[in-house]
Amino acid sequence: MNNDEKRDSLRGLDVPSTGVEPEVKSVSVKKPHSFFAERPLPAIEIASQGLRYQSRRDFLLFGAGALTALAGAGFLLPQETLSRIGIRRNINSPAKEWFLNRALRIDDDVAEALYSVNRSVPTYTKSQITPLKNNYNGSTPDPGYISGWKLTLAGLASGLSISLDIRNLLTRFPVHEQITRLVCVEGWSAIAWWAGVRFDDLIRAYPPMSQAKWARVDSSVNLDASGNPDPYFMSLDLATARHPQTLLATHFNGQPLTVDHGAPLRLLVPMKLGLKNVKAVTRITYAAEEPRDYWAERGYSRYDGI
Amino acid sequence: MLVVRKHHFLVRWSHWLNVPILLGLILSGISIYWASPIYQHKPDPNTGNFDVAADIGIWICAHVPGQHHSSSPPDWIYNHMSLGPGMLAPALRVHWLCAYSFMLNGLVYVAGLAVGGGWRSLLPRWTDLVDALRMFRYYVGFPLAKLARRQWPHPRFNTKYNALQRAAYFSVPVAGFLSVATGWAIHKPMQLHWLAAVFGGYNAARVWHFWLMWLYIFFVVPHVFLVFADGWDTLRSMIVGWSTRVERSEVVAK
Repeated sequence: MNNDEKRDSLRGLDVPSTGVEPEVKSVSVKKPHSFFAERPLPAIEIASQGLRYQSRRDFLLFGAGALTALAGAGFLLPQETLSRIGIRRNINSPAKEWFLNRALRIDDDVAEALYSVNRSVPTYTKSQITPLKNNYNGSTPDPGYISGWKLTLAGLASGLSISLDIRNLLTRFPVHEQITRLVCVEGWSAIAWWAGVRFDDLIRAYPPMSQAKWARVDSSVNLDASGNPDPYFMSLDLATARHPQTLLATHFNGQPLTVDHGAPLRLLVPMKLGLKNVKAVTRITYAAEEPRDYWAERGYSRYDGI
Repeated sequence: MLVVRKHHFLVRWSHWLNVPILLGLILSGISIYWASPIYQHKPDPNTGNFDVAADIGIWICAHVPGQHHSSSPPDWIYNHMSLGPGMLAPALRVHWLCAYSFMLNGLVYVAGLAVGGGWRSLLPRWTDLVDALRMFRYYVGFPLAKLARRQWPHPRFNTKYNALQRAAYFSVPVAGFLSVATGWAIHKPMQLHWLAAVFGGYNAARVWHFWLMWLYIFFVVPHVFLVFADGWDTLRSMIVGWSTRVERSEVVAK
């Protein structure tokens, strides 16, 4: 019996033709899915008991998670915030400080990894200059200090301590100009036209001791809010100090620096937050270990790279 | 019992983790905003105040019952909607902790969408334009129909979400991505200056970052309201993953 005869005989028997005729089989009821097309949610048949067990587990996990989040908030939020919402108990702990500083440290490591001595910060034109307020944290010092001002360098390879005045700096090193943005940790920023000598030129002229990785930049004339002496000290990694846009600035918007802006010499390090841009620098000390930092001791980060 | 698998467990975990993380980001973010508000006016000659948020606090203390005895009206907003005024250093530390958690959590969410295939339900489609109008008409008419005791049937869709839900659930991950991008732009405006330029520069990126926060707030309020209105099955499905609403699904396994 050949195929044609077989088909004829089956037809004769009035058997449903499904599966026998190839052309019927090729017609699919389901539309083929495109990769992006939404698909129906998969339905599953599951024993009620198994579902109950699974749900109980998920609800217990959810509750445990919620309690952990509450405890975590109580653990991590600042004491002042907790007092404000009525939690008077002091839950300040070394662990809390350690944990939050850990997050700060990770963020600093990321910033350090992003930094490159070969990447320039954006520069602007004179028409883009914006006002820069005097943001001395305390009182602005009396200008009396300027006449006797000297910059002291310490931690040098020579083992000596060097004293320089403004004339030494400006005659010895080429003056560079740049119009860059200064960004404050508070969020505001200002575009200003600066001129001064490169920190890198100073480092080349007076090399730091060989193990030095850091510079501590001091301003001994800094005052607190009541006008009492409050020396400012700040750590700067030498990799950033050597950046060609890191200046020891002497001029602001075409004029010698005023007391408001740190006369006669301020650090201008635009790839760091404004708080690293020390006004009225009086001393630079090179060190192998990370020096103390005024704002890091007040809960801010240490590296402050932006 | 026949149920549908609705949310992958990674999607559920990241969904709930977003609650404390976003709360931490918003509360610490407003504390950071306090240090240098982006919305300022000329200082008031009497008070010296220049912060619009402080003006709102002063208005609230003057006009909202029960708030007259606030010790510092200009700080009302910061006392009630942030970690507090004058707390930049602790707020920054909380913000970085939450921001890194938010980015990790975003990766978990995307992984859950990819593994569970849920991303397909979130993709916008052309029919959404008309369907969104149908849903909008439904929501607007719903209270009126209730008052008139008339039937007001929910539009029928054979998809996981309706067009308005889809628009919302698609926008929030996009907003999350933009919040992270604008956050990096204002956190590292020198090393990532190209990223700040994408958003129109450093100052513009701060404005973006601020309004993206409001997008979460504008999303969360109706989101929470509607999930309770929609019923227990919907809320439960985000905890347990399954739903008993099987009418639009296919049976794939027994």
